[in-house]
Amino acid sequence: MGKARKPIQIVILFLIVLVGGYAIGSSVFGGSGKPEEGSKAPSIDLLGLDGVGHTLDEYKGKAIVLNFWGSWCTPCVKEMPALQAQWEKWKDKDVVVIGINVGEDQMTVENFVKQVDIDFPILMDTGRDAVRSYGISPLPTTFFINAKGKIDNIHIGQLDLDSLDDQIGKLVD
Amino acid sequence: MSEREAFITNTKCECGHQNPVGTVLCEACGKPLGKESDWGDNLEMRYDGVARRSQRVNPSIIDRVWNFFSSVKIAIYLIVLTLLGSMLGTIFPQESTFLNIDASSYYKQEYGTAGDIYYKLGLSHTYESWWFVTLLVMIGASLVICSLDRVLPLYKALTRQKIRKHRQFLTRQKAVLVTEVQEEPEAWVARVVQPMRKKGYRVKTEGGALLAEKHRFSRWGPYVIHIGLIIFLLAVLARGLPGLNMDQHLAFPQGEITQIPDTTYYLKNEKFTVEFYTDDEMPEEFRGKKILPKLFQTKAVLYKCTADCGDPTKEPQLTEVTTHDIQVNSPLDYKGLKAYQFDYDLTPVLRSVQPALKNSTTGETYGKFKLDMKNPQRTITAGPYTLTLKEKYMDFGLNEDGQPISKSPYPNAPAFLFLIQGPDLPAEGQQYFYFPKQVDKTQFQQVAINDKLGGSSRFLELEVDNMSDVDFSESTTYLNIRIDRAMPFVWLGAAIVMLGLVLGFYWQHRRIWLTVTNGELILGGHTNKNWFGFRREIVSILEKVDMVVDEKSLDNGGGLT
Repeated sequence: MGKARKPIQIVILFLIVLVGGYAIGSSVFGGSGKPEEGSKAPSIDLLGLDGVGHTLDEYKGKAIVLNFWGSWCTPCVKEMPALQAQWEKWKDKDVVVIGINVGEDQMTVENFVKQVDIDFPILMDTGRDAVRSYGISPLPTTFFINAKGKIDNIHIGQLDLDSLDDQIGKLVD
Repeated sequence: MSEREAFITNTKCECGHQNPVGTVLCEACGKPLGKESDWGDNLEMRYDGVARRSQRVNPSIIDRVWNFFSSVKIAIYLIVLTLLGSMLGTIFPQESTFLNIDASSYYKQEYGTAGDIYYKLGLSHTYESWWFVTLLVMIGASLVICSLDRVLPLYKALTRQKIRKHRQFLTRQKAVLVTEVQEEPEAWVARVVQPMRKKGYRVKTEGGALLAEKHRFSRWGPYVIHIGLIIFLLAVLARGLPGLNMDQHLAFPQGEITQIPDTTYYLKNEKFTVEFYTDDEMPEEFRGKKILPKLFQTKAVLYKCTADCGDPTKEPQLTEVTTHDIQVNSPLDYKGLKAYQFDYDLTPVLRSVQPALKNSTTGETYGKFKLDMKNPQRTITAGPYTLTLKEKYMDFGLNEDGQPISKSPYPNAPAFLFLIQGPDLPAEGQQYFYFPKQVDKTQFQQVAINDKLGGSSRFLELEVDNMSDVDFSESTTYLNIRIDRAMPFVWLGAAIVMLGLVLGFYWQHRRIWLTVTNGELILGGHTNKNWFGFRREIVSILEKVDMVVDEKSLDNGGGLT
């Protein structure tokens, strides 16, 4: 038979591997769309309480503690002092604590920040975009993101000072 | 021993044609190849006995992969496995059919241990799982390779048909007639041409030999089906690509412009209406028992963001692109984005009030102002007074320590704490709690709170004159927003499959070969189905040349099924 057969076979098999590999790959890695431990932290672009837009890229090379909260959520309120304490302890060691407020307006957030006396950066997710891309359901939820931008750990529920310290310690190592 | 035999198989036919390995019938004259003992009563006419491409002497790795996928047996196994797999997916509802559940606990709660196992095995998202997609990809590969493996040999066999076939080839067809003819061979053949043409055959002659053929295109039916299926599969796989598919359920409060996530589109619900059937319109057994909606309608306006999109520090600039009154089965449709009516919620949501500051001793009122629930104005001037908004609670309540808190981010029981400064007030100002909703005023005892804050001699009140100063979002509509750009290709694939099915089902490839030599007529006929119709056709053609043949006598041991 024709000598052109083999290259044609190879080209067709290659195309099948390419298309098939993409399809299978996206079902394995892109499955639920919800970020998991070990996956890359989704990007965000939100208005900060300082009036400036912020993205995670600004904190490249730093470990990030990303805390989703709301002023109406009691455990969120309760964990704020622990977050503030850890922010003060670690901020010189390339760790940044970021609070993402879920769906409240600027006034509520400002009052709250003043009331509980915290000074780590706060971003406002009024359109719940970050909530969607991080697949948040209950509040508070905290993501520990390492310096490479990978999610190291996801903590759902109230944080306490000690476990928070351990987690950040692991993140920095 | 048998392997060695296969190695040295002589594939050259006695007519001088060199056939490739795997050929069953000589490509040129049609004489069966191989040992005589292998031959059955009837000939194997699949692909006209031509070798398939995958049949080779020394298969390499690539050939082996190729052979794996070119096997129809493997393809059937794959299809059966896929069917079984998709059956598993229907035992319990798939995760994707729920709006908002925690799958890890849902299946256990709802279906017990079986549900838990179902979830843990990953069957709750069967159709997105790697093994299911792998099966689809393998079926796709099998379709492509099976087709290529057979289409080219078949094409060759059908386009290079020799008119004069070997005697063996003719007599071992399922429809055969061997009889005597007194006429000159060429004259007889010339006579039979016309009746055959009348029946729609294309006829070629060569001396005393003839080949009549019709509806050859129906042989391509299966491959047309394959092409359709490949397009279908590719379209299904492409739905996973970003931007090609979206299916989400979103809430649109009346009167607000809401962004559709992951797009540059914004949708405004101008008015939502729901009408119910009255008792008179309903059948008797439903009266007084059921409330049935007659119409849901969302007056929707779709906007596209033209500038400052996605910049959180700026307001996006929107341009109206289309409007539609969305009803059940009448979605808004704009460039592939569809919004279907899905659900509604008739709970009114307070958006803003316009209270005025009133001096209760003199009865004087000062400046009406607008108080938005979301992002309200922080400083307000009303006559000689200045109001500074100190605190805001969307859903007023008290915590364990008795301090005011907001119980949720939704304006269920909004409350505002102002500091009022101006004439006849203490220099540091006076605090004033304001509950816009009348029920909350009574429930939380606004008067008592304010008396405590400013003393009972205070004379300022915030009051709303009438309902026209209250702005409610009367209801919320839930729309199902869908983008499915792969769908046209799914339909195209399905249409091509249908075309292929029609080609294959309604036409049959019929061929009649005949030779007249030394007063003997040998006729062989082949069709891929409807042998009875074919037999009748042969008989009626022969009748036209005054040859009476019994239909049944044409059967050559094949049963003509």
